[in-house]
Amino acid sequence: MLRKKPLFAALATCALLLSACGNANDSKSGSGAASPSASAKASEKPSNVELRMAWWGSQERHDKTLAAIELFEKQNPNIKITAEYSGMDGYFDKLNTQIAAGNAPDLIQMGGNIMEYVGRNALLDLQPYVGNAIRLEDFDQSLINEATADGKLYGVTLGVSQTALLFNATMFNKAGVPVPNGESWTFDDFKNSALQISEKLGKGFYGSYDLSSDNASFTTYLAAHGKELYRSGELKFDKQDVVNWFSMWDELRQAGAIVPAEVQVANPPDAVDKSLIVKGQVAIQGASASQIFGYQALTEDQLGLLPNPAGPAGNGMSPPVSGQFITSYEGTKYPEEVAKFMDFMVNDPEAAVILGSTRGVPPSAKIRDALSAESTPVDKILYDYISLATKISTGNGYEHFPYDNEFIKLLKLTSEKIAFGAASIDSASEEFMTEMQKMLARANQ
Amino acid sequence: MGKYKTYLAGYAFLLPWLIGFFALTLGPIIASLYLSFTKYDLLTSPEWIGTKNYVSMFTDDYRLKDSIWVTMKYVFLSVPVRLSFALAIAMLLNQGLRLLNLYRTIYYIPSLLGGSVAISVLWKQVFDKEGVFNQGLAMVGIEGPAWISSPSYAIYSLIGLSVWQFGSVMIIFLAGLKQIPTELYEAATVDGAGKVRQFAKITMPLLTPVLFFNLTITLIQSFQTFTKAFIISGGSGGPINSTLLYSLYLYIKGFTFLDMGYASAMAWVLLFIIAIITGLLFLSSRYWVFYSDGGK
Repeated sequence: MLRKKPLFAALATCALLLSACGNANDSKSGSGAASPSASAKASEKPSNVELRMAWWGSQERHDKTLAAIELFEKQNPNIKITAEYSGMDGYFDKLNTQIAAGNAPDLIQMGGNIMEYVGRNALLDLQPYVGNAIRLEDFDQSLINEATADGKLYGVTLGVSQTALLFNATMFNKAGVPVPNGESWTFDDFKNSALQISEKLGKGFYGSYDLSSDNASFTTYLAAHGKELYRSGELKFDKQDVVNWFSMWDELRQAGAIVPAEVQVANPPDAVDKSLIVKGQVAIQGASASQIFGYQALTEDQLGLLPNPAGPAGNGMSPPVSGQFITSYEGTKYPEEVAKFMDFMVNDPEAAVILGSTRGVPPSAKIRDALSAESTPVDKILYDYISLATKISTGNGYEHFPYDNEFIKLLKLTSEKIAFGAASIDSASEEFMTEMQKMLARANQ
Repeated sequence: MGKYKTYLAGYAFLLPWLIGFFALTLGPIIASLYLSFTKYDLLTSPEWIGTKNYVSMFTDDYRLKDSIWVTMKYVFLSVPVRLSFALAIAMLLNQGLRLLNLYRTIYYIPSLLGGSVAISVLWKQVFDKEGVFNQGLAMVGIEGPAWISSPSYAIYSLIGLSVWQFGSVMIIFLAGLKQIPTELYEAATVDGAGKVRQFAKITMPLLTPVLFFNLTITLIQSFQTFTKAFIISGGSGGPINSTLLYSLYLYIKGFTFLDMGYASAMAWVLLFIIAIITGLLFLSSRYWVFYSDGGK
């Protein structure tokens, strides 16, 4: 009976397969740059090419991307693209496993963590294709820099975005609460709006989600108070900041202005179809600006975007950055075709119309101009928001904490402990600091 | 020569299993033992760090403590309840009912579906704060709590789901019950023993080998539970780690935090825990498991 260990065996199996393939990868990347092999492969000119493409997003993005792929296949009958799409949940878990096993998709959508994968030699160097297959002339240089390391390009940005507060304007109107002026609003304004909305609309309606567990909101809050989460190997905040953060949310919680813990666990804001903002029960939540399309597609209510409220040191937001990149797996067999599709996604006018701004404001100035004629009201909200954010952002860029995923989970755990009343703000904040210090020590070893 | 041929034929028939065992089970097990002594992030090559993974498991991992506590609670509540439930249903079905096969099938269905993602998703809907279960309670005037999303109840919804999948255990019990000779009951009835006494003195003792088997299997399965906790908590083990079963935490460590070395070490510790508990169970079995043939 002891032999029956399916889970354990499965894990061990993965581990073995992974380690074997990991070695294969190492030897490959050690043998030299990607360009000579790329040209060798190009000379074969395969008649039928099958590519795989992975991305995450909401249904709205899936539909648009699938339509764009269909158009591409029509223009290039010898190329077939198999779509592997999902929600954000588990996307990177799966990708990591695929990369380690050596069978990652040829085309991979990446987020702000692109450099992590560059560092692990998982992504294809696209530099040989820049200027011919991939045209970047109409791109802002900063967007190209974001995906460049050691003079090599590893990704093509698909859109510009920024973290934002997504709000339900219809609820503001119903409650008779004026929509705040994003350029000047402060944390006090935020609190007042949340309190008023929940008070006016009554039981079951809330001014805001409980964003104390939201890592983007927390880091922006720190910046708005002249602090930072992390920079150059150090934590740039102390326990008092954490206590202040959770106290602010606790005050709103006691007043019934934010979503109670149980309801939030059952209806997490980041699940588009569960979000109560879509159901008109919660007025504010955190999101990446370009996600507004996914949420707006599910509701009749009018949604909008606001920047984070300002603190004594400004609003602490970082300037808008590339929200997502299209990258290629280092082991792809068809780099030429991959490059062609990347270019298609960002430079083809027809594809641009299909894709719209589902991954943020398109990076190419030419495409932006072409799109402005066709822009929808939601496009306009996004564009206006991005220009506002560019204008008012005071933060100087977010430096990723070395164990970002663990920090995100820890913040959520701390927030839940306080929200469910399982720990006092003081002891939970103390524990938060201790664990952050431990992670830091591990990173600096 | 003939004998040699027979052996060869035997091994030839065993070959598929042997290949499977050596290539897909034994090799990976050894690899994971090696990995448990390394720092391995899946994408770059493993780096030897000695027993550090094991040391930090026991010295400074607050999540692991939560996780072990939750897992123990899950195992030691769900196993007895599941077994008693299965036994009760098996005895009910052993009354010489007509349409027995039909009932047996119906009660077995949850076990067929139970491991699946779909059932976990369904369970999540049913026991949601506004779910069907609470709506039912509301009809009789009870306001049910949020079974899934409250840290005090979430683990019980997992235990409930596990108990509901009593089918395979029940089938084995039912087979065991059918093995008990009816003469024993007839003789006992003649001697004036009531139903309760018959259960205690005839059914239970003769059923102990089956019970032992079911107990061992269910215990091991429970320690390894993953799917339910993963789906119902949305992969987080929350709220407040209340559904962070050991295997789920192992997964999070390996695939979310990319600490595959640590996850491998956790797998070995789990193996050890299961081995000890199963070992104790086997040792104890000589005192309570009764084999009518003397266990030969």
